[in-house]
Amino acid sequence: MGKLLEVKDLKVQFRTREGAIHAVDGISFELEEGEALGIVGESGSGKSVTSLSILRLLPMPPAEIVDGSITFADQELLELSESEMRKIRGHEIAMIFQDPMTSLNPVLTVERQIIEPIQLHLGLNRSEAHARARALLEAVGIPDPERRLRSYPHQFSGGMRQRVMIAIAIAANPKLLIADEPTTALDVTVQAQILELINRLRRDLGTSVILITHDLGVVAGMTDRINVMYAGKIAETANTDELFANPRHPYTLGLLSAVPRLDEEAGGDLNTIPGSPPDQLHPIEGCPFQPRCPFVLPKCKDYPPALRVGPNHIAYCWVDVTDPAEQERAIARGFIPLREIGGLRQGSPASTGTGSPSNG
Amino acid sequence: MRRYVIRRLIQAVAMLFVMSIVFFLLIHAIPGGPDRVLFNPKLPPSVRIQLRIQYGLDQPLYIQYWNWISHVLQGNFGDSFVDHQPVMSDIGARAPATIELFVVGLLFALVVAILLGVFSAVRQYSLTDYVVTVLTYFGIAMPVFFFGLVLQEIFAVQLGWFPDLGRASVDQTGFTALEVFEDYALHLVLPVFMFSLLFIAGWSRYLRSSMLDVVKQDYIRTARAKGLSSRIVFFRHALRNALIPLVTQVAIDFGGIAAGAVITETIFAWPGMGQLFLSSLTNRDYPVILAMLTFITASVIIANLIADVLYGVIDPRIRFS
Amino acid sequence: MATIQSNQAPTAGALELTPELARKRRSQGRIILDRFLRNRVAVGGLVVLLLMVLAAIFAPFISHYDPDQYNIALQTAPPSAAHILGNDDLGRDELTRLLYGARTSLTIGITSMLVMVAIGVLVGAVAGFYGGWIDNLLMRITDGFLAVPFLIWLFTVAGIFSNGSVKDIVIIIAVFSWPITARIVRGEFLGLKEREFLLAARTLGASDARLMFWHILPNAIGPITVVATLGVGQNIIAESILSFFGFGLQKPTSSWGTMLNDSQAYITSAPILVWAPGIAILITVLCFNLIGDGMRDALDPYMTER
Repeated sequence: MGKLLEVKDLKVQFRTREGAIHAVDGISFELEEGEALGIVGESGSGKSVTSLSILRLLPMPPAEIVDGSITFADQELLELSESEMRKIRGHEIAMIFQDPMTSLNPVLTVERQIIEPIQLHLGLNRSEAHARARALLEAVGIPDPERRLRSYPHQFSGGMRQRVMIAIAIAANPKLLIADEPTTALDVTVQAQILELINRLRRDLGTSVILITHDLGVVAGMTDRINVMYAGKIAETANTDELFANPRHPYTLGLLSAVPRLDEEAGGDLNTIPGSPPDQLHPIEGCPFQPRCPFVLPKCKDYPPALRVGPNHIAYCWVDVTDPAEQERAIARGFIPLREIGGLRQGSPASTGTGSPSNG
Repeated sequence: MRRYVIRRLIQAVAMLFVMSIVFFLLIHAIPGGPDRVLFNPKLPPSVRIQLRIQYGLDQPLYIQYWNWISHVLQGNFGDSFVDHQPVMSDIGARAPATIELFVVGLLFALVVAILLGVFSAVRQYSLTDYVVTVLTYFGIAMPVFFFGLVLQEIFAVQLGWFPDLGRASVDQTGFTALEVFEDYALHLVLPVFMFSLLFIAGWSRYLRSSMLDVVKQDYIRTARAKGLSSRIVFFRHALRNALIPLVTQVAIDFGGIAAGAVITETIFAWPGMGQLFLSSLTNRDYPVILAMLTFITASVIIANLIADVLYGVIDPRIRFS
Repeated sequence: MATIQSNQAPTAGALELTPELARKRRSQGRIILDRFLRNRVAVGGLVVLLLMVLAAIFAPFISHYDPDQYNIALQTAPPSAAHILGNDDLGRDELTRLLYGARTSLTIGITSMLVMVAIGVLVGAVAGFYGGWIDNLLMRITDGFLAVPFLIWLFTVAGIFSNGSVKDIVIIIAVFSWPITARIVRGEFLGLKEREFLLAARTLGASDARLMFWHILPNAIGPITVVATLGVGQNIIAESILSFFGFGLQKPTSSWGTMLNDSQAYITSAPILVWAPGIAILITVLCFNLIGDGMRDALDPYMTER
């Protein structure tokens, strides 16, 4: 397997009247061909900005890619001209957005919207493109595709619209599919179906996937690796199984305890991470998670070095969260160890994903 | 949708009917009544009484209204008090000139407004955007008749590029077909500029802000993520959506457009219905005033009706609900 | 032309006038004022307009000529040191006439706006407050007024009823310009009448009129101010059109519109006689529009973010 995407030391800032917002603050990661990567974090952690940077879809200004490189299939994307970049968008790399209610053009038929990337990138004529559009709707599980092609977005339900969005995204056989919170705006029952669809398409088409979400429960069973992002930085990265089994960053621990589970007692409070998300206009010295971290130490004022937990597992933290002494200290500050809230589950929480965690 | 159109149609007819009564009463409330207008004061009283009976002016108002409206429904607005011709033939003779000015002016205004609006939205905060914004502010504040006078003076009288008055040369003998067309076209240029200024200014500003709203929408990001060129993104994906509210705005402004035509025709001696309207007011030519008011109101109401239907046609969310 | 956005902005349930709430409300106004003052274009419009108003008020101190003093020797004389803008077709000093014309034009613009707002607020408030058949009736009447273009109404009614006095013109302009104001006020009232503070006032036994004009109206003052400001400019243009076409003011009263009517025949020989009043109207209306837009932006900051 070759390397498909390499993001190196990417820094993205938003220029505002009050100063620069450090949305993405020096992140690096790689993606192999056929691999599925999850990027997890709260809103404002820089995960969406990262994905929009790859496609160079950020509004500039106010956004600015200050530093770093994004290499896709041996091309440096940040150095491509706008017209070269257009050949990548929708063709090599496609994207599914969060809100299917607003992401489709209300005045154009679904056919028109699916056919656009087909004709643009595959050079098919009108009738071939129509046939492909039809096949795509069928592939994403929309019944009566011939009739549905002539419909307008408002005639579809939210879940169906997201299926249309997926059909548009895979229309030109992209090598990489970026799904930015693809299920957040949908009903719980529909969420699982959409994830299942993405999983199946990925298997059938051999597409690499970047799945962006704030919900660790979504990536379980969907991805091979996970980057946990906080305040524009990668806090922890590991294989999916490893991350669930052996989380090493206090923030990851917080996210895991925030995953709602079906086996939780009814009426039990959802665990959330106390404190508010970081202010990226005025970033603090050292580790950005300090103000909310139960494990915090004085030396957190310096940014922690990479803690190499395993061959593919890195956490950026001074503390060994598995150390019982550290845990005692954290519990005294209100930390609830995961084993006390039901222990860690390998793989998927019952609510999401039917596919088994694959190893690529 | 069909039921909606039918309901709006009935409302429109009812409104027009009520307004016709209002106009009729308004005209008959003129101090001194039609007598003063119609009859030479030197006529002997017996002749005047005879004429009153002949014009039906001796009848009570509601009978007069009934007589008038029943003729109107048959397309007969009576005879002008001034030239004693049927009002409909006076209007018919002037309609082509007005329609010419109206259609060309409206299309010109729309095309220029859309181009300026899109352009300044695409290049937001550029020098072009800035210049267009300043010009639209001046255009909106401009007293149109003054603008017309200045256009006429500069481009017709001083520079001689265009004719200053009328719809065509009085004498077209010896003109080839092409020259006749050119003659009409040249006469049209300045009136169209005057007529459309206000609406170019207003609509381009409206479209600019509507475009700026639309390009922030998620579906524009989707379109860009497909790899579409910015030209297609703007013209296929953004403009269609931005034009929807403009349709309403054009309908709201339709009355202003009609009034603009009246003013333009008078400045450029354009032989249309607007001129006829103003002269009928000066002459107190009742039948013509009534016919023109009815006509203008009907066209405003119809324009709004068309805009409502058109709104449904271009916005599928309404068409299918 | 300008569309008036309804202002969904703050001004919440401000009206039990405890000192604290009164203070809050004042500071609300303060914020809006600050926002307006930061808009350089709008403030520029305000300054220019104030200068023009002052010039109109103190016309006799600026020019010692009599605006009606004929001078056959100076008919359509070009600008000179003694007559900066030259003399009109009867030899009267053009600058002086422009200053006195400003009095008429501004007076008509402002007074007709006041009457327009009064009618519009009354109709809109009653319609929005009572709803039901009253609302329906009033709105159908409003539709009727709007079914005929504003200027066509003016031409017709001024053409057949007016004697050309300032009073007539003001009334005619006001009577046909209120419907837009009424619609906006109605919209504001519909939005505000269900709010809790009204219920509170109602249970305390406030009369309908008190509820309408003491409790609800202050909350709608923003959008009303905006239409009022834009209305002045619109009404000044309306007067000038009427007068220019001979349906407006009659001699000896003169405004910028009648000056244009008098001078159009001299546009080639003495162009300044046309340009001066024309540009005066343009600048005045521009100022009112800039101020109105500035106020709208100040009231609704989200609109300016664009």
